[in-house]
Amino acid sequence: MTEFVMIMLVKMFVIFGAVMLTMTYITLAERKILGYMQIRPGPNRVGPWGLLQPIADGIKLFLKEDIIPDKASKVVFVIAPAMALIPAVMTLAVIPFGPAVTIMGRQVDIYMADVNIGILYIFAVSSIGVYGIVLAGWSSASKYSLLGGLRSSAQMISYELSMGFALVGVIMMSQSLSMVKIIEAQKGVWFIVPQFFGFIIYITAAIAELNRTPFDLPEGESELVAGYFTEYSSMKYAMFMLGEYINIISVSGIVTTLYLGGWSGPILPPLAWFMIKLLAVVFFMIWVRATYPRFRYDQLMTFGWKVLLPASIANILFTPLLMWFFGYL
Amino acid sequence: MAETKNMILNMGPQHPSTHGVLRLILELDGETVVKLTPEIGYLHRGVEKLGENLTYHQFIPLTDREDYIASLSNNLAYCMTVEKLLGLEVPPRAMVARVLLTELQRIASHLIWLGTFGLDIGAMSLFFYCMREREQILDMFEACAGARLTINYFAIGGLRHDLPEGFETRVRDFIKIFPERMKNDYERIFQDNKIVRMRTEGVGIISKEDAIDLGLSGPLLRACGVPWDIRKSNPYCGYETYDFDIATGKVGDVFDRYLVRMEEMRQSLKIVQQALDRLPGGAHLADDPKVCLPPKQKVMTEMEALIHHFKIVSEGFEPPVGEVYHSIETPRGELGFYIVSDGSNKPYRLRFRPPSFVNLESLAKMSEGKLIGDLIAIIGALDPVMGEVDR
Amino acid sequence: MIKALAEGLSVTLKHMFKKRATVQYPEQRREYSPRFRGKHKLNRHEDGSEKCVGCYLCAVVCPANAIHLQAGENEQGKRYAEWYKIEMARCIYCGFCVDACPVEALDMTGFYEMSCYSRDGLVYEKKDLLVPMPGDITQKHEVVISKEGEPVLTPTVSR
Repeated sequence: MTEFVMIMLVKMFVIFGAVMLTMTYITLAERKILGYMQIRPGPNRVGPWGLLQPIADGIKLFLKEDIIPDKASKVVFVIAPAMALIPAVMTLAVIPFGPAVTIMGRQVDIYMADVNIGILYIFAVSSIGVYGIVLAGWSSASKYSLLGGLRSSAQMISYELSMGFALVGVIMMSQSLSMVKIIEAQKGVWFIVPQFFGFIIYITAAIAELNRTPFDLPEGESELVAGYFTEYSSMKYAMFMLGEYINIISVSGIVTTLYLGGWSGPILPPLAWFMIKLLAVVFFMIWVRATYPRFRYDQLMTFGWKVLLPASIANILFTPLLMWFFGYL
Repeated sequence: MAETKNMILNMGPQHPSTHGVLRLILELDGETVVKLTPEIGYLHRGVEKLGENLTYHQFIPLTDREDYIASLSNNLAYCMTVEKLLGLEVPPRAMVARVLLTELQRIASHLIWLGTFGLDIGAMSLFFYCMREREQILDMFEACAGARLTINYFAIGGLRHDLPEGFETRVRDFIKIFPERMKNDYERIFQDNKIVRMRTEGVGIISKEDAIDLGLSGPLLRACGVPWDIRKSNPYCGYETYDFDIATGKVGDVFDRYLVRMEEMRQSLKIVQQALDRLPGGAHLADDPKVCLPPKQKVMTEMEALIHHFKIVSEGFEPPVGEVYHSIETPRGELGFYIVSDGSNKPYRLRFRPPSFVNLESLAKMSEGKLIGDLIAIIGALDPVMGEVDR
Repeated sequence: MIKALAEGLSVTLKHMFKKRATVQYPEQRREYSPRFRGKHKLNRHEDGSEKCVGCYLCAVVCPANAIHLQAGENEQGKRYAEWYKIEMARCIYCGFCVDACPVEALDMTGFYEMSCYSRDGLVYEKKDLLVPMPGDITQKHEVVISKEGEPVLTPTVSR
């Protein structure tokens, strides 16, 4: 029993630590990749190739003055960033980074838990993240934040539906909700091939969920300054940023698991394949950010409800045909 | 039942996308703009009053700083107005060089417009690609005049110094690479993109009659379908001898303004090619001893040139009594100078008719009843430069 | 439509592998032409005497009233400028003073890094503007490009 608890504790620290480290360096990677695509070098002063930049940013954010507006509801103001960060970290528990390996004579799976309702758990938990944004926008007593928070939360709720429906296709094909079993069901062909449209719909809806370009109007600088986190400073702002980037990692992890075959691949160890695919999805998101302009808000909502939702439902209706074609039935 | 009031939002003078210090007081009903009041004057420097205390020659650097994005156009308008007042003839080499440089300046100004327009809408990368081409043009200006932004290269009577050596090669190199950059870099990333079309088509429409009533000029007027270009209707500087087309739009929305400006860049490149091919030799400055500075060699050796030099530098020249108005086509529209001279060496009244000031008045008409997101695209396509709005 | 979206992505990807356009200042600097309008310098004759004759033309033509000087007679009875001041913060770097000088005493160099910690530091006197005596190596100077395209010395101003 204690052995089990010990293993779990170690896994917890390792996975959490590794994800935090990856997340900080993904912020650097985003700035460098955006820079290279814009024919400029990105951060390169702090350490070679800017490698110490995330540390510098972290120190800066720690040392900034923490301002709470006078009219804000203090309790809600302080809790809101935590409510945005905690669900993001909780989804990391079910992402399967690698299969069972033997360490020091024991079989250890490189994921926290394999609940048999894995996808449902992810959905439930990420929906709680919306609360963090609504409360942040509402509790800072400012017009800009309120508008930004409302828009953001409306956008996230609308696109969650399409995300869910797109995943139903994958669930049908793998006949299980557990993440590990979905990876095992992709032994023949990765689900991106039969579920290509589902993949496109899921990635689009996921980028909208993460409030990234082209769906980042609520926090677009040309508009209402910075949206729901206008009034936040120092560590609370850092927690929002952490939440956003950890969300990026977990969404990329989900896409890798569900559509790109998870940890399967020749020669290299499975953990390496998982990370490569995850980073490829993150690169794709950064690439999209460098290229496309943003949607206007009503166009964004129209797109979510009138285009993406019917497309995802159509995907569900077509999946049995694809299943028969690819030999799953 | 509670009463709802419209929200008053202040898009203040410091804002990432109002192209300078423009303050907009918006009355919003949800997302819709009910009333829009622009407030200007944050960049007022009293240039017109300063002009009354400076000689005609000393005023030229101040014109640079009005429309600071297309400063050679301002120089050209002022110099041509004073030459019209004096009845001065500019030598052919200076005329062709003026056309060449002004068209290059038009391309540079439209490149800034394109980059910032993309930036406002959210396509960040386009800005950097445009700046790369603009750097080449600015380097050419720097080789001619010594400055990149406030160029101050035209003098009353021609050019301040002759074109430098190697200038033709640089312009030819630029002409070679630019069309391919336009097609591959700017258009492929921007023009056919569905998101861009959704943000710009049907947005900010203004009808032909309204445009003419409001006094719009430049690409905004041409996008509505009115083929009015001062270079064709009242040609100056020899423009009637160049072969180029006027770009007109059909609908008058933001996408048409984009297309008009892209086409203008291509036509400008065509004019630059023609000007480069026909650049004659000869003097770069008119020969009038009372108005134009004599060359330095003569000043250091001949007595007469020295006396003229002293007189022109210290007192300037005295134009005949009268008033004159002359306008040219800048990248933003019709720029006009109105000078009243009372016979002394300083103007009695110097009035600068900025195109952005008049174009800005149409902002309320174009955006009332539309959403905030549209407002950003509309201001971007309007391309105001607050330096010339406020003077 | 998909083709247009994919083309946009290909443009940004292509640029990722092109040469960066950034100039890494201060390790690299841009190269400017000989005509660049930067800091002024006062020239000397070959024998070391100042070329400036104190004719006031540069002060008169300056649109920003940035140049001030006082003419006087030196021991040889020749006219020269007793003191000569340019307020770099008022100057608009238009170059009219250089055009106005009848003896080619005033020039503009390619030096532009003139920032300092106080407003007074931007008022340049003759000692900051005169080129060093020919053969003088004691005075601190920077090498800048002159109008003719050759490297020339201009005094370092340290405030």
